[in-house]
Amino acid sequence: MAFINGNNAAASVKIIILGIIVVSLFTLPFWAPESVVMIFLLIMLYMSLGQMWNLLAGYAGLVSLGQQIFIGLGGYSLAVITEVYHLNFLLAIFVGGVVSGVFALIISLPIFKMKGIYFAISTWVIAEALALYFLNWSFVGYGVGFNIRTTYEMSTSFLYYLSLVLGLGSVLLVYIIMRTKRGLALMAMRDNELAAEVMGIELYKTKLVIFLISAFITGMTGAVLYLNISFIQPYAAFSIDWTVAAVVIVIIGGIGTMEGPIIGAVVYVILKQFLYDFPGISMIILGVIAILIILIAPKGIMGMLHGKFGWELLSPRRSVKNVRQVIHPDCA
Amino acid sequence: MLSQEDNVLLKVENLEVHYGDLQALYGVSLRISKGSIVSIIGSNGAGKSTLLATITGINKPTKGRITFKDEDISGIRTHKIVSKGITMSPEGSRVFEKMSVEENLLMGAYLPRARRKKEELLKRVYGLFPALKEKSGQLATYLSGGQRQMLAIGRALMVDPEVILCDEVSMGLAPVIVKDIYHKIREINQEGMTFILVEQDVKRSLKYSDYSYVIVKGKIVMEGPSSQLPEEEVKDAFFGIHKYA
Amino acid sequence: MEVLLQLVLNGILLGGLYAMIGLGMSLIFGIMGIINLAHGDLMIVSTYMSMVLAMQFSGNVFIALLITVIVMMIIGFLVQTFLVNKVVDKGSEPPLLITFGLSIILQNVLMLIFGADAKAIPTQIASENIVTTPWFSISAIYLINFLVSIVVILSLHFIMKKTYFGRAIRATSSDVVASELVGVNTKRIYAYTMCLAMATASIAGLLIGMTFTYSPTTGTQYLIFAFGVVVIGGMGNLVGTLLGGIILGLSQMLGSYFFGTAYQLFSGYIVLLVILTFRPQGLFAEARK
Repeated sequence: MAFINGNNAAASVKIIILGIIVVSLFTLPFWAPESVVMIFLLIMLYMSLGQMWNLLAGYAGLVSLGQQIFIGLGGYSLAVITEVYHLNFLLAIFVGGVVSGVFALIISLPIFKMKGIYFAISTWVIAEALALYFLNWSFVGYGVGFNIRTTYEMSTSFLYYLSLVLGLGSVLLVYIIMRTKRGLALMAMRDNELAAEVMGIELYKTKLVIFLISAFITGMTGAVLYLNISFIQPYAAFSIDWTVAAVVIVIIGGIGTMEGPIIGAVVYVILKQFLYDFPGISMIILGVIAILIILIAPKGIMGMLHGKFGWELLSPRRSVKNVRQVIHPDCA
Repeated sequence: MLSQEDNVLLKVENLEVHYGDLQALYGVSLRISKGSIVSIIGSNGAGKSTLLATITGINKPTKGRITFKDEDISGIRTHKIVSKGITMSPEGSRVFEKMSVEENLLMGAYLPRARRKKEELLKRVYGLFPALKEKSGQLATYLSGGQRQMLAIGRALMVDPEVILCDEVSMGLAPVIVKDIYHKIREINQEGMTFILVEQDVKRSLKYSDYSYVIVKGKIVMEGPSSQLPEEEVKDAFFGIHKYA
Repeated sequence: MEVLLQLVLNGILLGGLYAMIGLGMSLIFGIMGIINLAHGDLMIVSTYMSMVLAMQFSGNVFIALLITVIVMMIIGFLVQTFLVNKVVDKGSEPPLLITFGLSIILQNVLMLIFGADAKAIPTQIASENIVTTPWFSISAIYLINFLVSIVVILSLHFIMKKTYFGRAIRATSSDVVASELVGVNTKRIYAYTMCLAMATASIAGLLIGMTFTYSPTTGTQYLIFAFGVVVIGGMGNLVGTLLGGIILGLSQMLGSYFFGTAYQLFSGYIVLLVILTFRPQGLFAEARK
């Protein structure tokens, strides 16, 4: 099983490095100051957001400009379940994921017929429409929104561990998906339209499943994000800014790679923290970096590292000796 | 017959072209004399279209040089090359589908030098191709294959160039029409226009040109004055019979 | 009944303005095949510019407009040459992402300079009615918007059909290689097309500023309108864009009539989604690719 590619020595080094990182992450609240824990909390959540957008755009070729649909639905599920029904927040997070997944299924009916730019803008339009709907919905308190009070008792460490689960879980999920037969087929077909046409229905089903999974995870991410923010209202919850973050994170980190969203999330969160008092400037800088990257190094930081130095820490690609089994899974 | 030494208008020297890792042309060299009709004969995939595309700036060469009237034009953009006096009737005609025949021709006279004399040029084209005059108001998309080809050549004429490259003008057309087109090419050539014809039809290429090059798998394997090239040997080279491949 | 009539009338007049907003996008998509996601934001930039200039020139919107148009054309030319042209032949994703990045930058720059409060370009015409009957009235600014749109659309149509410049644009959109072979500098044509799009966007921007309030994030809304107009009317079809605008305007007005004013924008979005689902090539499309 090759989670890590490369010959034995290099592979061992990679495993050790990964091990150190994972252990540090799990023990973080014990040795780092709260401000640092807070930063990593955000990194984990944004990483999840980025991984899911990357799954759609980088692997499945579905450029979505509507991730905020699921963030908003997840956030509002959290708010409603805890504030209106007074139920457990973990349930609320799960419901957030489910609601997002179901909504994704519903909208997939019309939007999966659309190609490329039409698909992208439709997701954006749906998000805007949703924002307007929530703005006028008494059940969710119109534009006033909710204070999410369950959070008030929670410690930063606790929230951090929630985020950690989501963040690492998203990476693991992408890895698992890409290693399945369908995932590999997807990667092989990413840039080859003719092959994609030949695959037809299978491809449609695969893309749909990925869309639903992405929605589910993004929904839960939205719920945990709002657990952090502890206050929700329609314009912010369904704001294009969420997709902006996802896009910027993935582009800078490297689209179509697994490490990309990780690096991108780190850059994004750190930049925003540094320029906390100047939120506009941080976005401008991120926008400029993103544009420069598309022009100069379209595969992002990770793509550049991989291209120039062959660096790769995580890769869903199977090692060569297993390839035969993959191509002919029905052969003996 | 023209000697290849007088008045070389276009020179291609040791041209190499790659598509990514795939090499399409291996050190191709040509000399085109002013006022001649030169044919480049080769089968599909031999590299003829790549060669023309590189001369007109659509592709960039990896190595080698293209000179026009002693000026190096290797790798510069197509519209600049056209302004210097070279144009092409591309493979498949590529007429502007949603424009009328006349608009297509007028577009040919886009550059200032041609635009100044557009009425004169238009008259000449209509004189050569009366069928186009008949259909001058019709949209190009409704033309037959032969008419499209005539339109493509007519459009190239409107550019008022010194050299016209023709990429497979006979493709998919009835022999009678092809013959007519070649006669017109000869007529235009007699008025001073230099032509480079790229073709798969060996017999016709040798018959209508002054000088021929045979290209196989990206290399020139044979060249010479057309009247002196034996058709059988050219056909052998064309089909890659071992002594030439 | 009068209310309905008034709304239908407003819908049609507003449609003209919406068509203006969509024109720029229709040009760019029709000619270059890319969607400029920063279209709405560029338009709002021009609105802010007109506002600032109008204040400088004591309310003279014509001078403000003239300068704005020129500046926006220069900006458009630069954006095209240095950003978009570099990625226009690299597939459909890079231009999308680059213009998305541009959109982010523009919104935040505007926010930094002008703050988030809603603004408006104060003019006397805006509040007056030019026609008042017992059954309906026509607001002056709505009528002006509509008439300006018709003039601009007809002018563009003329340019496209009758001038060499317009022909070069049409040729480029038809076949880039063939155009280059007759000497057309197609990358320059793309830049000029962008200039035209910016000019129309600037005019639309001024009209928007005089008709509605706006803020740095308003661009998003107008991007969707522009897209809606172009989709409904069929990409690349100028007259279709006008009809698309009218349909969008009517959907909004009728939506607000049947579901309440809060659902005005919402109705427009739903109509757009419906059309995207069932007839994405638009109601009046000329076939493209």
